[in-house]
Amino acid sequence: MNSLIPIFVIVPLATAFLIMILGRIINGFQKTVTPLILLFLTILSFYFLINNNSNSFVYSIGGWEPIENVPIAIYFVMDGFSLILLSIISLIGFLASIYSISYISKFTSENNFYSLLCLMITGMNGVVLSGDLFNLFVFLEISVISSYALVAFGTQKEELEASFKYQVLGGIASFIILFAIGLIYWRTKTLNIADASIFLSSGNSNTFDLFIQILLITGFGLKAAMMPFHAWLPDAHSSAPSPISAMLSGVLIKAAGIYVIIRLFFNMFVASEEISILLTTLGTISMVIGVLLAIGQWDIKRLLAYHSISQMGYVVLGIGIGLIIIARDGKPSIAALAIAGGLFHMVNHAVFKGLLFLNAGAIEHRINTRNLKEMGGLSKEMPVTSGTSFVASMAISGIPPFNGFFSKLIIIIAAIQARFYLLAFLAVFVSIITLASFMKFQRYAFFNKTEHSNKSTLKEVPFPMVFSMILMGILCLLFSLLAFPGIREQILGPAIEVLTNTDQYVKSITGI
Amino acid sequence: MNELLYIIIIPVIIGSALFLIPGKFNILKGILAIFTSILCLVYSVLIFTGKQFAFTPYTALDRLNSEFLRSINFDLIKYSAFNIDSLNQLILLFVAIFAFLILLYSIVYISKEKKINNYYEYFLLTLGCSFGAVASDNLLLFLIFWGILGLTLYKLIKAHNDESSAAAKKTLIIVGASDGIMILGIAILWKITGTLNMSDINVDTNNALTILAFFTLLIGAFTKAGAFPFHSWIPDYTKNAPASSSAFLPASLDKLLGIYFLARICNNLFVLNDWLRVVILSLGVITIITAVLMALVQHDYKKLLGFHAVSQVGYMVVGFGLGTMLGIAAGLFHMVNHALYKSGLLLSAGCVEHRTGKNNIEEVGGLSKVMPITFIAALVFALSISGIPPLNGFASKWMIYQGIIDFGAGSGIANNLWIVWLALAVLGSALTLASFIKFIGGIFLGRKKEEFKAIKEVSVLMWLPLVILALFCVGFGVFASGYIVPKLFYPIAGNFSFVGIWQSEMVSLLILVSIILGLIIYFIGNIKNYRTADSFVGGGEKMIEKGNYNAVEFYKTISDFKLLNDIYKKAEEKWFDIYDLTKRFVLWCSHSFSNAHNGILSNYTIWIFAGLIIMLLIMI
Repeated sequence: MNSLIPIFVIVPLATAFLIMILGRIINGFQKTVTPLILLFLTILSFYFLINNNSNSFVYSIGGWEPIENVPIAIYFVMDGFSLILLSIISLIGFLASIYSISYISKFTSENNFYSLLCLMITGMNGVVLSGDLFNLFVFLEISVISSYALVAFGTQKEELEASFKYQVLGGIASFIILFAIGLIYWRTKTLNIADASIFLSSGNSNTFDLFIQILLITGFGLKAAMMPFHAWLPDAHSSAPSPISAMLSGVLIKAAGIYVIIRLFFNMFVASEEISILLTTLGTISMVIGVLLAIGQWDIKRLLAYHSISQMGYVVLGIGIGLIIIARDGKPSIAALAIAGGLFHMVNHAVFKGLLFLNAGAIEHRINTRNLKEMGGLSKEMPVTSGTSFVASMAISGIPPFNGFFSKLIIIIAAIQARFYLLAFLAVFVSIITLASFMKFQRYAFFNKTEHSNKSTLKEVPFPMVFSMILMGILCLLFSLLAFPGIREQILGPAIEVLTNTDQYVKSITGI
Repeated sequence: MNELLYIIIIPVIIGSALFLIPGKFNILKGILAIFTSILCLVYSVLIFTGKQFAFTPYTALDRLNSEFLRSINFDLIKYSAFNIDSLNQLILLFVAIFAFLILLYSIVYISKEKKINNYYEYFLLTLGCSFGAVASDNLLLFLIFWGILGLTLYKLIKAHNDESSAAAKKTLIIVGASDGIMILGIAILWKITGTLNMSDINVDTNNALTILAFFTLLIGAFTKAGAFPFHSWIPDYTKNAPASSSAFLPASLDKLLGIYFLARICNNLFVLNDWLRVVILSLGVITIITAVLMALVQHDYKKLLGFHAVSQVGYMVVGFGLGTMLGIAAGLFHMVNHALYKSGLLLSAGCVEHRTGKNNIEEVGGLSKVMPITFIAALVFALSISGIPPLNGFASKWMIYQGIIDFGAGSGIANNLWIVWLALAVLGSALTLASFIKFIGGIFLGRKKEEFKAIKEVSVLMWLPLVILALFCVGFGVFASGYIVPKLFYPIAGNFSFVGIWQSEMVSLLILVSIILGLIIYFIGNIKNYRTADSFVGGGEKMIEKGNYNAVEFYKTISDFKLLNDIYKKAEEKWFDIYDLTKRFVLWCSHSFSNAHNGILSNYTIWIFAGLIIMLLIMI
């Protein structure tokens, strides 16, 4: 099983290059091969996810064994936590690529599109698999640089401007991250996360560690679009082609931002109360201000983009509460509950936000506008888009029986159990505003009037788009099963185990 | 025992299955839905007559060998606890009755032009989830069912124009918000007691945390039932939704569920202290008075009924606020009665709308001759809601008044204020009567308009539910003290004694005798028929007849009072609507934050470094 791990990086990387070569020769090569390999990766990752029994799989490139307990090889580590990310990356990637078959056909350079998409997935898979900081940074750059190009894919004024802003701000973040990684190397003399963790947990932590941690929070906070580092996101996510927006909002900010923050602060650094409180505060600020910004928007994709900030706030809130409890040596069961809530919400967000962006894309595909004021009464002509977007809206607003309800419920219960009453209240408040803004989306896009100006030409989007949307709508309902405690322990349990039990993570890599 | 499982699962499964049938076979869907509701009615009667039990459906998965499924099964036992006691036996029965009657009505009413996509699907889902919410003992399970009800409520309104889509949006936002707030209360209860089973929870409201939990759950119950200040979705909903939807959800089911949950939190989950009683009673009387005042000035008859649906909740809240056995029984009795006559009223309003196509009281009139069955049924409901003996509305209001007087004997702040509660409750009842004179007078009496000459009575499927509901209203009133109250409400509230003596059968008999006497006198006195003639105008041109007194104009005097006038103006501008107040605040916040996002790259860069520096300054 261990030898299968590099597949997640090699296969999409190879596909990206093959598309550029064979795509010119074989007609329709890019359209068929991308969904197929992503389907393959989805099946593979779900197979691992269901059968992993809380083992960590380690693959050392070149087969170098640790010498005197110092890991010298480049490691790919696949544990419960990275598996969750891998699964949603492949899953959302697969559905977005199916959707693209119809959506992208109106653009000229389809080869570039699919190639960049595969590169982005390579980068994200690499980030969640790599066991050392430097490779993590390299894969991070692969994924974000391809996303810069994809944001600018439409090459209109608006897209280029958004991409430019994204590049500048992303460049600053990358610089800060690289700086922090350099400082870590200087302090610990290693770049391996597990090895660095041994060093950091043995010595006393000092101000220098704190400085590094704040730099990392800034850098990865920007990738994860936490307030006040969020400013690039509304432009970039709303300007990208819709399947790419679904990928960016659904998985990129998680894989490149949240995942790394969680991995480093749980498994590398010693949990400290100040940092965990700082993280929770940032999460709360993003959650509240993000949703307040979202409700005033009239551009659907901007509205969705601001909601991504807010929903990431929920994830960080849940994770942050878990980290606070660990730092204070509180009850492990409550910490596990909070982390489970955060991770669960992260998975759910990938599905419903992905679906919402696909819906927005479907609307844009048909009536060429993103402005809510110019829409109305689409529910009759586009029943699938309307129905699935209703499901996704209910899921993101936390209405049962959809998945968002359960993850928010777990986060709120965990916050109350940990006596953070104010945070629980804010989580509920944000949930209500979220509901209000999605009701606005529903009302102005699909109801509100029965007549439409170009009614004769208006019909449901083509089959590949419909297929992706329906499948994601079903997933919104299906993922609520993860809330069942038996299933929750099976899927989220290993991830929580990895995060709360650093020793085991270290042991699986260094063998100590 | 398995009836309970069936009654929840069958409507949900059939409801979901109906999604697969294409929309053209709407009649088929309706018939299937009616059969399902009959089945549920049978089961609910079985449950009602059966024993009381606590129930966990663990048997279903027990035989499976898989370790994985076993672990799920273990959790099912933990979370899916059901409990049947006399309170939810009663509620289950009435939910089933209303569902059946309203479905019968819907078959004809939900016709082509009023068609809502997937009406029957959502109807059945609502039904199953209501059963689930009532029967479940576990608070989380309850919350899930409760939340789905908000969703189906939204789906049962047809959002085809600006106004109705705004109403649909507002409804789901308010209801969804209350569900969200309830999560807080449930989480706090879990934190305090360590359990989620309602039957195991009984906490004193003696510290801030429990009071907070109490209020969050109270918001849930109030929103569903529609009590002040979370009522504002109901009038908008009844105005824009089809009459069958509003008769089903806001008028009957949501009342039953909201008051059921209110009964649970006031009696089982919490022990109320004196101040909380004052708060609940005040909210109750405020609900009664404000809503009925708003109802008086409405022109749209469905919206008028919506405001009454709010106002009547006040009586139930007052009943539970009293907390005495009499008060609880009175509250529950009023809940049942209200559901009977209010769904009846909305259905008759639906009949009128179905035949005339008009929504405004001013535009209709004199329909009593052409729609006699609807008229008589509506008259019974209207007299009933206004509290005219011997109908059921009188019986339960009378019990509430007695409860208040009885309550006044105790010592405590709430008890000492009994005269205030009583006076306002009676005033509310008087105003209700006044506004229903307008309703009946404006729609059915007066001179018939030319355009309505050709109108016929509605079809049998539409008037049959009305007649059944009207018979229920009469029956519950006449046999109130002898049969209905002891049979239905003693098991829930315990045996209690009436303060005032009220033998409903006896009084009804007397009233019947007096009516017969009156009729005899009328016929004897009327042997010589009256004659009709044009009014004499002294030889000039004949005056154009304005025989149809305008019911709406008459009520304008109320809104012309200086003080009331100001209040009405503010209410028109939605100053008392918690939804609009919050909306303004949130949009103002949104606007001010948006202004900061001006799209200038250097600003954004500054934010990043400012954030970094602030974090460094704070932490190091």
